Amino acid sequence: MTEPAMELIDVKKTIGKKEIIKGLSFEIHKGEVFGFIGPNGAGKTTTIRMMVGLMGLSGGDVQILGNSINSDYKAAIREVGAIVENPEMYSFMTGKQNLGHYARMIPGVTKKRIQEVISLVGLEMPINEKAGKYSLGMRQRLGIAQALLHKPSVLILDEPTNGLDPAGIREIRQYIRKLAEEENVAVIISSHLLSEIEQMCDRIGLIKNGEMIAIQDVNAATAETTAVEVEMEAAPIDRAAEVLNKEYDINATVANDRLSLQVERDTIPKIIQTFVSHDIQIYQVTMTKSSLEDKFFDLIGENTIG
Amino acid sequence: MGNFFQLLFNEQVKLYIRKSTWIMYILIAALVIGLAFLSNYAVEQAEKYQNDNWRQTLQDENTEIKERMEQDNMTQSFQSSQIEKNNFYLENDIQPRSYDAWQFVMENKFLLSLVSLLTIIVAAGIVANEFKWGTIKLLLIRPITRTKILASKYVSVLLFALFTLLFVLLFSWIIGALFFGINGMDPHIVLNQSEGYAHVSIIEQIIKGYGLQLVTLVMMATFAFMISTIFRQSSLAIGLAIFLMLSGNAIVGFFSDYEWAKYILFANTDMNQYINGSPMFEGMSLGFSIAVLAVYYVIFLAVSWVFFTKRDVAGH
Repeated sequence: MTEPAMELIDVKKTIGKKEIIKGLSFEIHKGEVFGFIGPNGAGKTTTIRMMVGLMGLSGGDVQILGNSINSDYKAAIREVGAIVENPEMYSFMTGKQNLGHYARMIPGVTKKRIQEVISLVGLEMPINEKAGKYSLGMRQRLGIAQALLHKPSVLILDEPTNGLDPAGIREIRQYIRKLAEEENVAVIISSHLLSEIEQMCDRIGLIKNGEMIAIQDVNAATAETTAVEVEMEAAPIDRAAEVLNKEYDINATVANDRLSLQVERDTIPKIIQTFVSHDIQIYQVTMTKSSLEDKFFDLIGENTIG
Repeated sequence: MGNFFQLLFNEQVKLYIRKSTWIMYILIAALVIGLAFLSNYAVEQAEKYQNDNWRQTLQDENTEIKERMEQDNMTQSFQSSQIEKNNFYLENDIQPRSYDAWQFVMENKFLLSLVSLLTIIVAAGIVANEFKWGTIKLLLIRPITRTKILASKYVSVLLFALFTLLFVLLFSWIIGALFFGINGMDPHIVLNQSEGYAHVSIIEQIIKGYGLQLVTLVMMATFAFMISTIFRQSSLAIGLAIFLMLSGNAIVGFFSDYEWAKYILFANTDMNQYINGSPMFEGMSLGFSIAVLAVYYVIFLAVSWVFFTKRDVAGH
């Protein structure tokens, strides 16, 4: 990979006597989308607040393109665009006035650039309406527009899919991939729902109780597949179960007219072929759990991702 | 410096784009117009001197007052001061002037307490609202120091006070001109000063009257600004500042037996005590008051700065 866009070095946060973040170290590269996953209360938002200077660090350092947030705040934060928690805007101003407000705070943001980000997030239509009338999805987009105004090298989005409908999530996923691939931006996305961001991330870091438990390369994880859990809707279902037992020595459970089974990823097409040759109708085949999710469940040791 | 003006511009936009700010100005305008209607009696009062017989009118008035004083002792002091005033006109051969826009503006100086009130509301909200709206997070993650952002907000409050003060002055003058007309550009009036009656410039009186109240305005607005920065909540700041502004004199009175009472903020905000030559406590001088005010002012600003720049912006 290329040089790190953002680097966390043994970042610690103590509030009162409680150690909330216990020494986080990781780095995010240019053009990479990094997923920051953890159950609620694991310290995601606290970490993000420290990355953008809203909270002071109790120990360690955050470096953005080599500039320390502790000692060279202005140079470091110049390269960061962020939404922290909800994208709160001035509800009494229009979308455009909101963007103008933030544009005036950073030298070099032109009117043309404001137009550019508006069309990038597809807000041309409602941009002259009061932000207070925006739906959550529109506010989320305005938030991203605001974060992109000054062409940052690092984009930090805290729970960007929170409260969005599936279409909205897909849209955001597309922007983010585009930003990383075309503009070479390093993107950090936090979420407590792995399934929502898994598909847009290159790497995923798992945080629990203020500690980074694992960092996983997404593509590698899908490549090294072992057994996956599959659900099949087939008819007649009894014969399907019988065939599975006979030909593959798999004991499938039948529930709600569906077969649940554990199988190697590569065997799935073979099973389907066998079913077809036995005249069994197949309506649907679904993977119920990704291998990544399984892995994280194991690491957390309990079912708390969701 | 360039981007400080941008910040200031942002703050002014956020202030004046909101309806609540406009309501404040509409309120002031309505009050001024109402006061103009109420002042009509003053016009009639002054009307009777507006002819060549004004000397005779004044003398007639004096004899009438004297007669009344013999029958009724209740309003003695007011009556005798009226005679004194009339005599001043006669002795100096000054014709009492008709009521006009200038006098209207001068008499409206009490509206400055309303300006103080509105400035307190603005000062209490300018930091706290950003926290309430959640926009503080987006405001602070810019390549600008927190000190600069806080300074832009504070200067913005002072600008609001200045604009509102100018609005009161100008609007009063315009309404006064429409209702009563303008009587010359350098008007003088006979007023009771500390050395008895004197013929004084109205414009000078206006500057003095409004200017002296600015001390309280700035101090209380800065106080509200500090409270809202500490607690990140505007209602407490508004309540506390207005309560202290209204009860300031009572507080000084309550502690007046103590040696340290002269160090209380409110013992020093009224500069009239030096113009009249009657300080509230012994050992107080203009220099002393300015020093005390300066110390309070620096403390208010320093506390705001420490809380705004040093404290984490955590969740709700």
